[in-house]
Amino acid sequence: MPLARTHSVALVGVTGHLVEIEVDISNGLVGTILVGLPDTALREARDRIHAAIVNSGEEWPYRKITVGLSPASLPKRGSWFDLAIACGVLAANGKVPSAASAGVMFFGELGLDGRVRPVRGVLPAVAAAVRHGYDRVMVAQQNAEEAMLVPGVRVIAAATLTEAASWLRGLPGPGDGGPAAAEYDRADDLPHRHVPNGVAGEPRSPRDTLRTGAMTPDLAELLGQSMARRAAEVSAAGGHHLSLLGPPGAGKTMLAERIPGILPELDRDAALEVTSIHSVAGHLPEQISLLERPPFFAPHHTATKAAIVGGGSAVIRPGAASLAHRGVLFLDEAPEFARDVLDALRQPLEAGQVTISRLGATTSFPARFTLVLASNPCPCARVAGPAEGCRCSPAARRRYLGRLSGPLLDRVDVKIELEPVSRRELLSDRSFSESSRTVALRVVQARERAAHRLRDTPWRLNGEVPGSELRRTWPPAPGSLAVLERSLERGLITARGVVKVIRVAWTLADLAGRPRPTRDDCHAALGLWLGVRR
Amino acid sequence: MSGAPVSSVPAVPSEPPSEARLARAALTYLAEPGDPVLGALLAVCDPAEVLAVIKADTLPVGTTVNQIGQIGLVDQANQIGQVSQFGQASRAALGRALGRWRVRLPKLPAGAGIADAGRDGIRLVCPEDAEWPTVLDQLGPARPYALWLRGNADLRFACSRSVSVVGSRAATSYGAHVAGEISADLGERGWVVVSGGAYGIDAAAHRGALAAEGVTVAVLACGVDYPYPAGHADLFAAICAQGLVVSEWPPGSRPARTRFLIRNRVIAALACGTVIVEAGERSGALNTARHAADLGKPLMAVPGPVTSAQSAGCHRILREWGATCVTRAADIIEMLSPLCVPDPLAPGGSPRPAAAAPDAWPPSGAPSRAVMLSQDDDAPCRDDLDADCARVLDALPSRGGAGTSTIAVEAGVDLDTVLRCLGQLAGLGFIERCDRGWRLRRH
Repeated sequence: MPLARTHSVALVGVTGHLVEIEVDISNGLVGTILVGLPDTALREARDRIHAAIVNSGEEWPYRKITVGLSPASLPKRGSWFDLAIACGVLAANGKVPSAASAGVMFFGELGLDGRVRPVRGVLPAVAAAVRHGYDRVMVAQQNAEEAMLVPGVRVIAAATLTEAASWLRGLPGPGDGGPAAAEYDRADDLPHRHVPNGVAGEPRSPRDTLRTGAMTPDLAELLGQSMARRAAEVSAAGGHHLSLLGPPGAGKTMLAERIPGILPELDRDAALEVTSIHSVAGHLPEQISLLERPPFFAPHHTATKAAIVGGGSAVIRPGAASLAHRGVLFLDEAPEFARDVLDALRQPLEAGQVTISRLGATTSFPARFTLVLASNPCPCARVAGPAEGCRCSPAARRRYLGRLSGPLLDRVDVKIELEPVSRRELLSDRSFSESSRTVALRVVQARERAAHRLRDTPWRLNGEVPGSELRRTWPPAPGSLAVLERSLERGLITARGVVKVIRVAWTLADLAGRPRPTRDDCHAALGLWLGVRR
Repeated sequence: MSGAPVSSVPAVPSEPPSEARLARAALTYLAEPGDPVLGALLAVCDPAEVLAVIKADTLPVGTTVNQIGQIGLVDQANQIGQVSQFGQASRAALGRALGRWRVRLPKLPAGAGIADAGRDGIRLVCPEDAEWPTVLDQLGPARPYALWLRGNADLRFACSRSVSVVGSRAATSYGAHVAGEISADLGERGWVVVSGGAYGIDAAAHRGALAAEGVTVAVLACGVDYPYPAGHADLFAAICAQGLVVSEWPPGSRPARTRFLIRNRVIAALACGTVIVEAGERSGALNTARHAADLGKPLMAVPGPVTSAQSAGCHRILREWGATCVTRAADIIEMLSPLCVPDPLAPGGSPRPAAAAPDAWPPSGAPSRAVMLSQDDDAPCRDDLDADCARVLDALPSRGGAGTSTIAVEAGVDLDTVLRCLGQLAGLGFIERCDRGWRLRRH
């Protein structure tokens, strides 16, 4: 049969679009034509597929081969169409039954020797396939585990093109000693094989133990910083963005690293979303099932705008803001970041997603993260005071902290100053330190209460509720604002600060299980706010 | 509205500005303020005459100038003892001075618009005007030729009950806090805060007064329309709305290092007394303090930690210059009241303007808020605190600071309680944040 159809998925951001691949073999000048907006990597598929088919011992039709990818208007990038095109060629050439590929989504890159190589973005692609009614996907063996994360899918794990072709011919699988690719319904059936190579062509980033949650450091280790621990708890429970100010060694980074540990585990939808983003970015650790822990992402302060919010010209990739989706984005030495990089964060902070427009495509990545900023009080990073020798001029200090733009700091609800811990404080704090597990339990309950209260609104966390709405719909208990008003009169706090204190008071009430903030909650929130020298 | 002495915008003179007025406006463009030669000239001649001399191509030898050169200037200079180099060489000095003023002649705006009152709300106040603060006459030959003003308050009236609160730009949180608190209290009690509009203590003082809806006067070392430091543009706008921005330099002038030192004498002279809140050993605030001491005005200083380099200058003027140690607004008012309250317009003794008559104070028949506040000390009261708060407050060390957990253990309360109590106590002004956690605030 001279015409065959197979299916694959094109990814735009983390959204998968179904692509139909038609292979037509006709008489004419010998050659292969690829139509339907392929990019360079895809154009090179011709040569890869030719070599792979020949080296797998299959017959290559030396005739005119036309490969059409539709919808033709959708830009198609990447190398993962190889498997679909190769199977299409075999089917069109009559070497495998063309009916066998119906209802199967193909997703894999081919090596010249016929190996099926793993690629990035399998999870969102498989999810898209399932959404379009495909219940079987053929992927590289190394991608099988990731593909299996999508519920209700049957994964055909092909190590080579020969295995794929044998499966299409209906030959028995490895369980029966046959040459065909193995099929799996459940992740438990997968043979856990270590594959030394990373994703083809992509150097894999070092495995981040923090992200997997297995070795998350404990909050109890942050001894002597009870206010800061409380601030972290509030930030986790209410989704409040956090700013940490303090000299080096006070524990800013320690604190930030411990916040994911007290965040609740991601629910299944969120986990799929997060894993998809990391899959597209090629950041998934090997042998990982779903990312169930909130991610922690700490870009270096030399990061570019594209590294933070995402970008790239040919393939648009998610940036740190999206990789920290549903987790923590930690900007250490925040004033050292370029001003435009910091300002680029305003859109995701506002909208919970990043929209990137490039030639050919506009992509949105989800980016709903908790921002944690850490800053030294001055550029020389020496403790202020006459003895310690900070020689920064007042203008230099002002400039340094002034690099954090107002609109960015406006989104920060909890500011905290960390001092170097004295021995006495260390001893006193022993009786108060709590493990991350204890705190996480309170956080989960507080989040549930907030979600229940906000069930009829577009928000789920106290940190997301705008100030105007807060004042109108959720005022604290009557009479609880007396001290707050007095502070406002005395100029200790601004009107904008009052809104933030009330927002934090709601989270404190949620943490304590109270229906609405009492005077005590407002006072505690004020304590957190005034806990920074002005 | 507290009883701050804000008058309505002074009536714009309907008749065209007088020749003397135009001449004084022109002189602010030509000569740097505080030029003793020009000061001495103006003491004996009409400003229009002086301007004519400057504008004349060569040094005239008429009787007027002879008189200045031979008699007036010498006597004047010897009398005040500040331009001792005059004497025999006075004519030469006058020639040199004329030369340096003449270089700016091309930049002089032309026409009668030079003293235009309506422009951007900027107005000129001359020594002949009712609004002229006669306290400036104490400066002698260093008296400003005229002042450029922007804002709604009446300068003379504002200065009749005023304190200059100045200090270092590199203020610590302690200094900024004290300056703000003192100024707010002064503002509430109807006193006007005069300062220099710089970062640090100056800004804290202005902001404190503004927060209490008091009148505040910023004396700048650049044009009143030139926001320097630029970060204070909003602050100056707020000051204009509620007080005054004052400068000896004409609109559009840029700040320069030396101009701040020249400006400081006006800050010291305008106010009834000067308070230095925080000043390092080489702070410009000490220059203001020196001027205040030279003028015989009460000089006060707020002490700081003896370990703080930022307070070293304050401690020096307390020790060596006989400054009075003050810690709160009440101390300052006590220090100044005998000087100012009986007759706000005493120094100088020129005729009183109707707009600024002293019987406008207190502004109405009802007892003013200032009076009520002075009877009832504003310090927060411990008796109103609940048991937990009282224990937490007691747990704070009497000196230095303590961390949150230390305080909780000392008070025997849990972390939630200590946080709530600390918030309440901070909000009520009992405690504040410091380098080592929380500490008591002194009242």
